[in-house]
Amino acid sequence: MKKIILINSVFILLIAGCNDEFMDRTPETSIGTENFFNTEDDLAMYIYGLYDFSGVWNYSNDGYSTTDNAANTGNTELQTMMTGNPTSSTITTGWEWNRLRSINLFLENAGKASVSDEIKNHYIGVARFFRARFYMDMVKRYSDVPWYDHVIQTDNEADLMKARDPRDLVVGKIFEDFQFAADHVMKDQPEGAVDNWVVLSYMARAALYEGTFRKYHSELNLVSTANQYLNLAVEAAGKIMTDGGFSLHNTGHPESDYGSLFTSDDLTPNPEVILPVIYEDNVINSGWWAFMFGNYEVSPSKDLLQAYLMNDGSFYNRQAGYETYPFVKEFENRDPRLKQTYAYPGYVLVNTDTYSQGGGIYIQQLQKNFTGYHQIKGFINDKDATVQNNVDFPVIRYAEILLIYAEAKAELGELDQTDLDQTVNLIRSRAGMPPLTMNPAADPVQQARYAGLEDSTPQWAELLEIRRERRIELALEGYRYDDLMRWKAGKLTEKEPVGLYFPGLGKYDLTGDGIEDIILISNTESIPAADAKEKNSLGVTLVYYRVGAFGSDASFYLENGTSGYVGAVRDRGTFIDPKYYYRPVPASDVTLNPNLSQIFGWE
Amino acid sequence: MDIKNRFTKPIGRISAKSVIVVWLVILVSFQLQAQTSTTSGKVTSAEDHLPIVGVSVSIKGSTLGTVTDIDGVYSLNAATDAVFVFSFIGMKTQEIPVTGRTVINVQLENENTGIDEVVVVGYGSQKKVNLSGAVDAIGSEQLESRPITNIAEGLQGAVPNLNIDFTSGEPGKAAQINIRGITSINGGDPLILVDGVPSDAEELNRLAPEDVSNISVLKDASSAAIYGARAAFGVILITTKTGTRKGISVNYTTNFSWSKPTVLPDKITDPYIYMRLLETSTNNTPWDNVNYSDEAYLWAKQRSEDPSIDAVRVNPNDATSWEYMGNRDWTHYFMDSYTFSQKHHFSVNGQSEKAQYYLSASYDDQNGVLKISEDDFKRYNIRTKVDFQVNNWLNLGNNTLISLSERTTPSYLSIWDLYNFFPTDVDKNPDGSWANTAVGIMAAKLTSGGRSNDKYDQLQSTFTGQINFIKDILKVNADYTIRKGNDNYRWNYSKYRIGYGPDDIREEGINRAHRSAAFDLYSVFNIYGTFQKELGGHEVTAIAGFNQEHNRNEWFMAEKDDVISASLPTIGLASGEDNVDEDITDWAIRGAFFRLNYSYNSRYIVEFNGRYDGSSKFPSEERFGVFPSASAAWRMDQENFMRSVRNTISTLKLRASYGSLGNQAVGPYGYIPGMNANQGNYIIGDEVPQVVSSPGLVSPNYTWEKVSTTNFGLDLGLFGNKFNLTFDTYQRDTEGMLTLGRDLPDVLGATEPNENAADLRTKGWELSLDYRNSLLLMGKPFRFNTRFILSDSRSEITKFDNPGKNLTQYYEGKDLGEIWGLQSDGLFRTQEEIDQLDESSIVPWGSLSIVPGWPKYKDMDGSHTIEKGTTVNDPKDLSVIGNILPRYRFGLTLSFDWNGFDFRAFVQGVGKRDYYPQDYLYWGFYQQPYAGGYKHLLDFYRPTDDSEVDREKHSQSYIDAGLADANTDAKYPILQSWLADRNLGERIDEAQGLGIPQTRYLLNASYLRLKNLTIGYTIPEAITKKVNIASLRIFVSGENLTEWSGVKKFYDPEAINDVTDKINPASSTSRGIGSGYAYPFQRRYSVGLNMTF
Repeated sequence: MKKIILINSVFILLIAGCNDEFMDRTPETSIGTENFFNTEDDLAMYIYGLYDFSGVWNYSNDGYSTTDNAANTGNTELQTMMTGNPTSSTITTGWEWNRLRSINLFLENAGKASVSDEIKNHYIGVARFFRARFYMDMVKRYSDVPWYDHVIQTDNEADLMKARDPRDLVVGKIFEDFQFAADHVMKDQPEGAVDNWVVLSYMARAALYEGTFRKYHSELNLVSTANQYLNLAVEAAGKIMTDGGFSLHNTGHPESDYGSLFTSDDLTPNPEVILPVIYEDNVINSGWWAFMFGNYEVSPSKDLLQAYLMNDGSFYNRQAGYETYPFVKEFENRDPRLKQTYAYPGYVLVNTDTYSQGGGIYIQQLQKNFTGYHQIKGFINDKDATVQNNVDFPVIRYAEILLIYAEAKAELGELDQTDLDQTVNLIRSRAGMPPLTMNPAADPVQQARYAGLEDSTPQWAELLEIRRERRIELALEGYRYDDLMRWKAGKLTEKEPVGLYFPGLGKYDLTGDGIEDIILISNTESIPAADAKEKNSLGVTLVYYRVGAFGSDASFYLENGTSGYVGAVRDRGTFIDPKYYYRPVPASDVTLNPNLSQIFGWE
Repeated sequence: MDIKNRFTKPIGRISAKSVIVVWLVILVSFQLQAQTSTTSGKVTSAEDHLPIVGVSVSIKGSTLGTVTDIDGVYSLNAATDAVFVFSFIGMKTQEIPVTGRTVINVQLENENTGIDEVVVVGYGSQKKVNLSGAVDAIGSEQLESRPITNIAEGLQGAVPNLNIDFTSGEPGKAAQINIRGITSINGGDPLILVDGVPSDAEELNRLAPEDVSNISVLKDASSAAIYGARAAFGVILITTKTGTRKGISVNYTTNFSWSKPTVLPDKITDPYIYMRLLETSTNNTPWDNVNYSDEAYLWAKQRSEDPSIDAVRVNPNDATSWEYMGNRDWTHYFMDSYTFSQKHHFSVNGQSEKAQYYLSASYDDQNGVLKISEDDFKRYNIRTKVDFQVNNWLNLGNNTLISLSERTTPSYLSIWDLYNFFPTDVDKNPDGSWANTAVGIMAAKLTSGGRSNDKYDQLQSTFTGQINFIKDILKVNADYTIRKGNDNYRWNYSKYRIGYGPDDIREEGINRAHRSAAFDLYSVFNIYGTFQKELGGHEVTAIAGFNQEHNRNEWFMAEKDDVISASLPTIGLASGEDNVDEDITDWAIRGAFFRLNYSYNSRYIVEFNGRYDGSSKFPSEERFGVFPSASAAWRMDQENFMRSVRNTISTLKLRASYGSLGNQAVGPYGYIPGMNANQGNYIIGDEVPQVVSSPGLVSPNYTWEKVSTTNFGLDLGLFGNKFNLTFDTYQRDTEGMLTLGRDLPDVLGATEPNENAADLRTKGWELSLDYRNSLLLMGKPFRFNTRFILSDSRSEITKFDNPGKNLTQYYEGKDLGEIWGLQSDGLFRTQEEIDQLDESSIVPWGSLSIVPGWPKYKDMDGSHTIEKGTTVNDPKDLSVIGNILPRYRFGLTLSFDWNGFDFRAFVQGVGKRDYYPQDYLYWGFYQQPYAGGYKHLLDFYRPTDDSEVDREKHSQSYIDAGLADANTDAKYPILQSWLADRNLGERIDEAQGLGIPQTRYLLNASYLRLKNLTIGYTIPEAITKKVNIASLRIFVSGENLTEWSGVKKFYDPEAINDVTDKINPASSTSRGIGSGYAYPFQRRYSVGLNMTF
């Protein structure tokens, strides 16, 4: 009987204690917000998790975002819109808010950290800097977006069902964030970290964007407020210029200084780089690969190539017959930056890849849907993977700050020669180009590009050249799309990018030695067997291409079938102004929250 | 390692052991002599005194014997001192010594099959006749005759609706184990208990199949309810062997096997055809990136026509580099060979008055398919099981298992890559270095790129005690188990050397050492009392008990770059960047349970089970649940009105049950928001700082998924239970499945928290048929046994918050596994056809051109446009074209023995299953131009004949294959890369082109597989006795011998089993899952022996 009592008591004890601490199990390797945000390390760990700066992939973004700088073969958003029938059901990306929640969660919790106000405000400043950037991206796509400065809870109907806030309000908030960050983020930070100069740079960039966007986009009815932001751009850029201690990377080698910025294994000591993304082999690989040379989805355009000046500062399009210049001649006596951006006749290829031919003097590979031009800006001409993995990326270059300053000044009508000498002319000098002076001659081609500019702003002649300088200096770094949008130059994306010019079938020199390298035959012919192929005077077999009109069975397309420009994109479609400067809120979200109305003709 | 050696050495081992034994046996058999005489008699039934036909009469200890004729008469020549064994199914076996008699008449008594047969159930065992739930049991004999390495292999196809799927043939790979179909959208597996200790499929791998005594499968809620919350989807109870025979019995079983992959894809090896088709496939696209030079084609043509020409040459344009032109299917190079495996199992067991014991040791060494490098799985097991009768009321025991397993592979082993090589690659350069091709680099990585070694050591010990308060009436059992598992995993990358050119051999790769360790600690405590009483016809069993378990897993890893010495690739000897991480999880459960079983005259049976269960995975207010069940059964055959047909209908039982259980297959801390630390993505200063991510949203009130099951069953036995049928039908409702709550606007900025928001219903049935009999064949008893099982289940979503019935989410009424797709209308033949039907919205990447030969679809909605709708109510041209879930799973076992020979064949399969292929293994270049070249795709659309100039360039093989000729009546479309690109995503809204499932290429993935064929011979005891061997059986066996399936040309039919991802319409299937890229399944041929001393 004792046994029974004993066992019964054990039973009762066990069941009575059912929901005790034995059943409470809490995570040990993840942490709740209530136990975090206490120390500076906590704040730093969270803030580093918010970093989202772009890397080397940016070198292909002029193509991937559909601009006049490059051709593309993929279905990029804008091109899909221009050639299709876009609606809020088909254009659905971008309406993503997770990042904002992460930032606001930090801002709600950082206050409790036991650190000095100076440190606390630094981190809050960085978070607000990230929030400003987040909202700037949202405004770029949607113009009016709901503004949230706190974390939304699942039961907060008012927040969830909120309508869009007007652009003016949102941008005002964005610049409050920027200003707070500019006032509190510290100047001395480790390499690769956000410091005061990074904040000011993004602030200047955003201010120039907003100022010019408002100025040229009358559909917003905000033209009168444009100058406020242009002034902010001048102010922020000016502060960097006077106090930042940055300078252009100029070792007196105009043929290579510029290009070396994009292939450097260490940009941290470079005086021009305000924020590098640092890569180190096997630590964080740059993720670089040879797509630029592989005819992989994007290729630079003739339009961009023609925008480069001659090396004496004159317009390229002053040369008679420049439109039909052969490939080799296109590179003669040009702005030295051209040969640091485009593969040029005689370029020696070392890094060969799946799709490219072997090493040695490069004969431009021609292929359908590609222009035939190849980009060497950011291209690591080295076979060694450890070298390729180790390339730093300049997120913000001082050159951009100078260009922002010059452009904002000119847009304000306040530009003078001193400004030019302190900005554009420093850039030109580094590139080995003669300086720009006030009241420059107008380039009719450039004028046609930005038609109507002369009616909108007094210093239009200077602006045309500043815009050129910006396009050249920042070519293929991913700036062009935003520039076209804010200048209301979306129509320029309609022009189908083309490549090399060939006056007809026959043999051509592409390496610049005067000896033919390739032969074009009609696509009605077959390429002869190897032993029946022609050789050039060096005894090297010519590369054969069968050419034909767009869509025909050919090695690549020529505009007129057997002559003309190399065709890359058959149809860029129509840029509907102003609708395509904006994106629709995805239909699924409008269904969930009918207060989100569409604007600018989107449905 | 020397391949040749590895292959031949084991053969030597066989000769050493088995040949000697066999030789001895033969020698001895010649010396066999004994006095014999003929004895005859008649066998009748004790009940009705009628003669019984087909009674097996055998001489004990030999294979000699006979069977009674139609009059029940037998006649047998035997030694005067022999002992006759009379056996007949359904009757008690009798042993009668001849002692010189010439006439022996025998009366056999009904065995009343089942009356005493006992089945293991939760916390006890129960007479089979008293079962009222759906329980299936199989004994060790089902497993023993076949050389399996994993108990799950033995269970596959053995029990209806116990669905065992292997998703790969990798040695040591755990199976997917399921009972009765789809459980919950969050998953949920049956509870597996080995000797009462919860285990998982992984644990089953650590169990030596030879140690298993019997297995019970509890399928319905009533039988499983005693396990409460974790038993919602059935229970598998595995009981290991124990000493049952007086004295000492020693067993040794061994098996040597040779295996090779079952199905490998059939690739084009002709370099010219491969290159030309690859180039053609990109010519028709905007990304024409494959452009072989004429020189390359010329060489390919020469190699095609004269394979003796060297496959490697110095690049004529660059004397510093090699150039390659292979012509081989490299998948076979790496994997197609016989690899050798072996296993040994040794046990000692016995029983005395005060003790029972079972001690066993086993060793299992399985080699994988990889030919050029180590790829194996080893397992060492020791089990000791003892029980002591301390006094008349106390019983104490211990059951301890030590299991060590070890998987070794090259660090760079990637099955995916092994399937995808170009035939034009080459493995080695003329100087013997590895070639600068994908094949050469892979071979270099596999042979010298480092090794991965994963060791799992486990020690599990259970102490058990039983106190008998009132003998045979009231007892209390208690047990406590500790399981300690340690995973010791290390791998390293070493640099390897690749030959780029005649004097250019480079070292590539990285030097990194990695080690991770996991410590699992699991404890289980059970205490329960059992009351059992029989009074008149009333029989009562009552059990009440308590259970608690705690599981803790601690894991950490460390790795470091720049190992100093390739021969000592340790973290301790590395100097580069390091990386460490840690993870800890734990959970606890606790519950009280009871069972009450009452039967009257073994005729009317009712049973109640229940459990009050709690899990730490839920917030404390929602932590506990009550899970009750009830069942009833009626033994109709025991009724008087059935008496007249009892000779025909020996058993007829009807069963019904209902129960409600819980599912807790969720993460351990799902209700606690937490932030995890990770290494960041940016270098700041000179380090990569740790970062934390923001916590996700959690719902404060989520709890168990409730699973209720209704079951109806029928057990039928005919002709003295020679023929048995069991049929069950069930409905299982899984309610309150945790899933995303209400769809909230994206401004929320987080995934909606999980709530108990969705319901699912699974309906199914299962059938098993047994037929056993024996007859006389050439004067010897011929016993045979067949078992056929068949089952089916379907699942439907009965509640889900998707009012718009969006196709990319579950919706009410959705049949799980359904495939939405387009109806094929052949291929476009003309531009006019193309102009009449706008297919532009399904063009992959929006960029391919629609040309004659492009797939054409039926315009279901009459819009002259082919479009994918987004909802069930407006699917546009989409419709359900099939279902990926297997139906009509079946298994058929045929076995017989005769004159010492035993034979067993086992066939397993799936009766109905659809599969839409979505990767290289089927689509080759249509997917992307980076792998492929399958022979089945040669029948592609070719609009015109090639020109004479082009024909001149082609190889004879290309012309002969008809590839230079038009083929407008083709199975496959015009050869366009990216047309079937799965990289856009497999989800229906993402898929484009041939990535969208469609009827023309939908495959019939049902299959029938000859899983096993075993032929054994037991050497007569009379012979083996002379060498002191109690019994000796030798056997040959084959596993996965052949199969029939509509997918066999492309994949092993089991290699596409992993469809979990594809069932969820919201998920985009990860690459390589369920697409046939499985570690190859293997055909295994083996020889072995079982010996008992």
